[in-house]
Formats: sequence, structure tokens, C-alpha cells
Amino acid sequence: MDEILKVKADDLCKKICSGEIKSLDVVKAYVARIKRTNSKVGAFLKLNEKKSLEQAACSDRKIESGEKCDFLEGIPIGIKDNIMIKGESMTSASKYLENYVSPYDATVIEKLKSASAIFIGRTNMDEFAMGGSTETSAYLKTANPWNVEYIAGGSSGGSAVAVSAGMVPFALGSDTGGSVRQPASFCGVVGYKPSYGLISRYGVCALASSFDQIGTFSKDVRGSALLASVMIGKDYRDSVCEPIEQINYVNYIDDDSNLKMLKNVKIGIPKQLFNYRMDTEISENFNKAVNKLRFLGAEIIEIDIPSYKYVPALYKVIMCAEVSANIATFDGLRYGYRSQNAKNLNDEYAKSRAESLGYEVKKRILFGTYVLGAKNYHRCYNQALKVRTLLINQITDAYRKCDFIFSPATLQVSVKFGETLLEECDIFLIVANLTGLPGITVPSGFTNSDMPVGVHFMGSRFSDVKLFQIANAFEKISDFDVNKYPEL
Amino acid sequence: MLIEELETIAFLARIEIKENEKEKYLKDINKMFDYIEILQEVDIADLKPTTHVTELRNVWREDVVRSCPKEIIDMMLNSSPDREKTFYKIKKVMSD
Repeated sequence: MDEILKVKADDLCKKICSGEIKSLDVVKAYVARIKRTNSKVGAFLKLNEKKSLEQAACSDRKIESGEKCDFLEGIPIGIKDNIMIKGESMTSASKYLENYVSPYDATVIEKLKSASAIFIGRTNMDEFAMGGSTETSAYLKTANPWNVEYIAGGSSGGSAVAVSAGMVPFALGSDTGGSVRQPASFCGVVGYKPSYGLISRYGVCALASSFDQIGTFSKDVRGSALLASVMIGKDYRDSVCEPIEQINYVNYIDDDSNLKMLKNVKIGIPKQLFNYRMDTEISENFNKAVNKLRFLGAEIIEIDIPSYKYVPALYKVIMCAEVSANIATFDGLRYGYRSQNAKNLNDEYAKSRAESLGYEVKKRILFGTYVLGAKNYHRCYNQALKVRTLLINQITDAYRKCDFIFSPATLQVSVKFGETLLEECDIFLIVANLTGLPGITVPSGFTNSDMPVGVHFMGSRFSDVKLFQIANAFEKISDFDVNKYPEL
Repeated sequence: MLIEELETIAFLARIEIKENEKEKYLKDINKMFDYIEILQEVDIADLKPTTHVTELRNVWREDVVRSCPKEIIDMMLNSSPDREKTFYKIKKVMSD
């Protein structure tokens, strides 16, 4: 593997800006890597070779002429295929949007463009982000780069693989129920989901609007902090975005002081964690991680959150309800797929949707339609929203006793294609979506068969700075080697 | 859920389901009904529902029309499966 691909995102920025490395060489190396490995792992749906090389040359000229560097000058980035880039196709891995061209930029894309980042390609995902394995994509199968017989996780599987396999220094995903953090953990990279309301979702294909957040993938914590810093902030086009101060998270990342911080940190571990079946190697790795944190001074506290047991049910009921409302926009009238077999207008809606949407999407729409039906609304949807309040109350209580809630990222290691993951596999990630809290997964080691495992820190709302700090501290003591790449 | 209920929600959701698909949908969706049951055991009579975690209330903005560049309007119209001039063309809404 080309040495230039091993330079971490933050260093890459500095080296390109100082002229030590040319953006063109970086982009050429990544393009070559993608071309050589994509057929094995299926991370990218589309590669923007020509445009990326032109942009890289443009960044190099800018630097040579002594102009000031932008925040991500000449850095390539992978974009999940549900985020709009003006004039480019966006499929959300669905047949419905096969020929769709985005008429405008998502807010995050606008921000990344002003930071002079280069969009090198579009990454694969589950159809409309519905799934946890990237297997529901209508186009491509994405494999885990550590062992191509195993799934990458999902729904942002393409982005996770792209970073893990060194095809891009970092990438964007979206996280509705662990869709950034679960594949990040399966593929051995850092996955970050910000506090709800920190990053605008305008221009992102909506799944469940009260959970959806854009998240980041990177090899190290610093990379995610860098990428997030460019994207945060209020946006009048996404009204849940909170007015917050513009900060650069990277300024708060310092190995020595972050490690020292552990002496004053209280880490809560939910006692409910031990009610679930966990892979032995995950459990061993987690215990080791807890001991390391304790050794460096962190206080480990047991917390009690009885409503964890409702998490899968809560998530499914509320998510499907929101899906049925959001996906109603895909009616085949103004854009997207339209059936040629319809007799009248109702038939046109029903056939267009039936012929172009995948089974998983349709199943979720149907269940969501049921729980929102006039007869069922109170018993199903409204009841779930009340149990959600109960969960939030219990989590809020827990944060009176601790600063972070700590758990394994997933309770299982990635599985082979065709095998299904246990329902509880990623419930500790989903809690962050149900409660709007920030979460970050950090690789914590490998199993005996060389598959990555990870841990998850969840902070209180808008404690994203502290979350990056503890994640960075953990990264420094983790058994995972960030300089190790899968052989492809 | 019975087959008639499945047909009703499929109509409401405007998704055509073929005869040979009905059994699979019924089986999978009925399994999801367990989720609804699990949530019934909680006593939450005095709790308010949470639709959004944000504490923001009434995010107002001026009700002004922002102009849209012609290039974008064209791009959006060009995305339509069928059109006539600047109109989207669809099947007849009212029956004869």
C-alpha cells in the first residue's frame, strides 16, 4: 500500500497546506487504490476521477501561489449516496432514484465545498439507509475488508469500508440507529454521531427525522473531530439545528491532557449490559478496556437503566412510523421511477412504489402505516413516544452520576453474508438516537480471527468536545493499531 | 394482522402487493407486532410523549419567497418522469 495513503487526515491537511505533499499525488494515490480494491469490497458506487484530479490540481496551484489554505484544502472525502451534491446523481442505493440528479447541495456539502474538500466518490449503503449490513442496496454488495466473506455492517457500510481499506482518508455517513457507528466498529475505524441538532440534515435523504444525524468515519479520532468541525452549526433549512458556537474540535485534542482528563472522569456502565448474550471475545476485550480506563484514574460506576429492554421495540415502532411519512414523498410524480403499467393515478403511485422499492423498505412503510393508523395511533405510536420519554428520563438520571456511558460498540463481531445479527447487537448505539445524544465508536482490538472490535462512548447532549477528548484518550491506550490496514 | 388489514394498509401506503407476496408480508409484519405488545407492559400514564429531543420551540422565520435560479428550476423539471412545458404530467385525477 502506498505510504501516502497511511498519512492520517489531520496530518494530510497540514502537509498539503505546507506544500510538503501535493494534493494531486494524494488524489492520484487514492484513485489508484479505489480502482485496485473496489471490485473486492464494493465500497464505492461511483468514482469522480476526472473532477477530483482537476480540483486537486487547482488546490496545488492555489498553494503554490501562496494563497491561504482552506480548512480541508485538497483532501479527498467519500460521500454516502444519500447526501445531495448539485448536478450529481444520488441513488440512496434505490432503484427509485436510479436516474436522479440533485438540483442543489446539501448544507454539509456546501460547507465542505467552502473548505475546499474533494468529493472523490459515492459510497454504497442499504437502500434508503434501511438495514444494518449494506445488503439491501439495489446495486452492490459491500464486503468487510478484514475478511471479504463477512459483512461490513450498515447502513453506511460503503463509507466504513472506504476508510478502513485506505480508499479515502475520511467519509460521511448518516446515523439513524447506529448506521455510522455499527459499520465503523465492524470495519475497525472511528465512527461518530453528533448530538441531535448539531449538524444540518438539509439535502440528506430522510429516514426517521427525529433520529437522523450525519456522522463521520475516519481512521483516528482526530480525523472525525476535524471533519465534524467543518459541518456543525445552525441552518435555517433544518429547523432542529441549534444555534451553537462555531468551534474547532481539533484544538481540544491533545494526547497528554486528554489522558490526564481520565483522572477526573466518571464512566458509567449499564448493569443491563450483562443481561445480553455477548461474543466472548467482545466481552474479554471490553473488560480489558474498562481495566485500562480504571488504571489511568477513571472512576467506573454501575448505572441502572431498566428501560434498555424496550430499546429495540421503541426504535422499530417510532422509526417505521417516521419512515412511512418520509418515504411518502417518493410517489413517482415529480422525480424518480414511474411505472409504465398504471391505469389511473392511485395505480400509478402504488405500482411505481411497488416496482422500484425493495422489500425491506416496503415492509417498514407498511408497519409504519399500521402504527400511525387512526385506530392504532394511541396504542402503538403514542405509547412508544411515552416510553421514549421514560428512557430519556432514566438516561438523564444516569448522567447525574457519570460523565459518559460506556459499552461495547456491538455485542457481536461481524457475521458472514446471509447470517443475521442478533436484534440486541447494537442496542447500545441505538439509545443515542432515541435520546439525541452524541456517540462515538473507537476500535479496541482484534479477535483471534483478526476481525476488529470496538467500544462506544456516549456523552450527554452537546458534550461533543468532551466525547472527542475521551475517545482520543482511549485510542491512545487501545489494543487496536491504527496504522494497520487490511490486506487486499 | 389479517389479510384484509394488510390490504387496507397497503392501499393507504399506496404500495401494490401481489397475491404471492402477501403471505411473506403477513408473516414478517405479524412478527413486528411483538414490539407493540412489549411496549404495553410499561405504566407511563403520567408521562408526556417525546416527538423530538430538541428543546427548541417554534422556530420562526419570515414568510418570504426566495427566488430560485432558472437553472435549478430546469434541473428539477428535467428530473420529472413526464412533463409538458413547465408542468408535471400525471394520470387523470378525476374519473370520467
